[in-house]
Amino acid sequence: MKETDEKRGLSRRSFLRTTAGTLAVTGFTGIGTLRAAEAGKLATLIDLSLCDGCPTMTVPACVSACRDLNRDTIPAIADPIPVPWPRKTVEDWSDRREISDRLTPYNYLYVHRVEIDQGGRQRTLFVPRRCMHCDNPACATICPFSANHKFENGAVVINQNRCFGGAKCKAVCPWKIPQRQSGVGIYLHILPDYMGNGVMYKCDLCHDRLTRGEQPACIEACPRQAMLIGPREEILAEAEGRARNMRGYLYGKDENGGTSTIYVSPVSFDLINASMAREPGRPGMKPGVKREMAESDGLGKAVLAAPALGAVVGAAGAFRWLAGRKTRLVKEGKNNG
Amino acid sequence: MADRIIREKNRAVRHGFVELTEHWVIALSGLALVLSGLFQRPVANRYYISSVPGLGWAGDYFVSLKVHYAASLLFIAAALFHVLYHGLRGDLGMIPRRGDIRASMEVMKSFFGKGEEPPFHKYLPEQRLAYAGMAAIIAVLIVSGLVKVYKNIYAPDMSYTVLLWATWAHNIALILFVLAFIAHVGAVLLKPNRPLFRGILTGAVRLDYAERRHPLWIAEIAGEVPPKKETSEPRQRETTPADP
Repeated sequence: MKETDEKRGLSRRSFLRTTAGTLAVTGFTGIGTLRAAEAGKLATLIDLSLCDGCPTMTVPACVSACRDLNRDTIPAIADPIPVPWPRKTVEDWSDRREISDRLTPYNYLYVHRVEIDQGGRQRTLFVPRRCMHCDNPACATICPFSANHKFENGAVVINQNRCFGGAKCKAVCPWKIPQRQSGVGIYLHILPDYMGNGVMYKCDLCHDRLTRGEQPACIEACPRQAMLIGPREEILAEAEGRARNMRGYLYGKDENGGTSTIYVSPVSFDLINASMAREPGRPGMKPGVKREMAESDGLGKAVLAAPALGAVVGAAGAFRWLAGRKTRLVKEGKNNG
Repeated sequence: MADRIIREKNRAVRHGFVELTEHWVIALSGLALVLSGLFQRPVANRYYISSVPGLGWAGDYFVSLKVHYAASLLFIAAALFHVLYHGLRGDLGMIPRRGDIRASMEVMKSFFGKGEEPPFHKYLPEQRLAYAGMAAIIAVLIVSGLVKVYKNIYAPDMSYTVLLWATWAHNIALILFVLAFIAHVGAVLLKPNRPLFRGILTGAVRLDYAERRHPLWIAEIAGEVPPKKETSEPRQRETTPADP
């Protein structure tokens, strides 16, 4: 009871910071009622000690809610789908829309059932998987058309009207989350045989719902309140508190340079990752995944300094030349006079 | 000024070490930027470019990003050096002048056998116009590129409006840069311009060529006429030493 009151206090403080038009996400989970009460950075918490994979349902509630919400996201597919040249890769999921146990363009969230041998003790965990909404996501920052963007609230959103489906975002994602549907998107109107190949789809953290002050559909639907969303710092503190209490582990806090999705688990992610059956569309959970783009940050900082470097050297060279010319003119004047 | 006449070698020196270095750093880093920029699009794997021996890196976006950064470091530093160095020295020979557009059209016509070329200063009028155009394109590439680099490192959640402007300015300027690059190289292939190629390789052109085609410049560096307030008009044929 005391803990609940404390959480309510946390919730109240957040709520007081709410202003008209900002988020007021209510009905929070598990521990009480955290609120995503401001338009600042948000984060989500997924508590694997609470998720049971919805055993009485054919499809877990969170997955169903996500699928229902995004049922009509993908428009009609071109018939026939243009075959790209020269690499003839066509990815068409339109006849497999019912698949819900992996990531597809029609399924942005699935629950990965993991059978774990924990020192001889068998244990089953259910791990909801979707985009991690990384803090500095390469999928968004190096999208050549800026079709993928990280918003201030933390959501990483692909604009399907700008995406050419080149799958660069998938190639640079450590978990290969975005999935392509060929035969849709802007590329059809430009050079469909030679440029682009569809649109990439993934979880957008229900960005539209967040801007309307609503929770993501998956979080709202979870019957076990295994997922939370709230102000980033509060979610981080909550996750760390829960991990301490269960002597558990965190995932997503530091992976890929930090993400907006924090998993809390009573089982180590090394063990979870080792026990996961990894197939296309069913990513692993290797702890400590590095942000590969960090390797180029030093060079990038040098690029930002390049204008000053060039200007200083140029100015120094010019002044040296001007000084030399002045000396020459003085000498010539003396010689002539 | 590097400009001077070396009669015993039949040479007129157009560019010094600094100018040649600037030109080639910008040209080669620009070429590397175009290629690595293209490889930032999903083309290398699709078009089997990454299967070509030695180009395996082209299909790795993180590697081509490093190449793009390294080339842009040189490109931007050289561009800013150029502006400050020549701006402070007062080197204005490549700045477009009044009448350059009309003069350029006349020169173009002369390439196709219609009329005669007017006598030139050091640079052709269309070279000055091309310089201004290329400078504008490069300025857009640099500013938009810096916004994108800043976003990559410090502000992935920067204003989407600003980012879209920067992205599309960068993409459109890339296309213009490639076209300008092709036009620039193509211009050297035109027969009357071919002797200038030696100039950008060694710094000097043949003196007899310069006296015939750039008499205003030769007269200037020979001290035969005082430097004029330079415009492309009126024509100065009557003061041209090389004229019959």
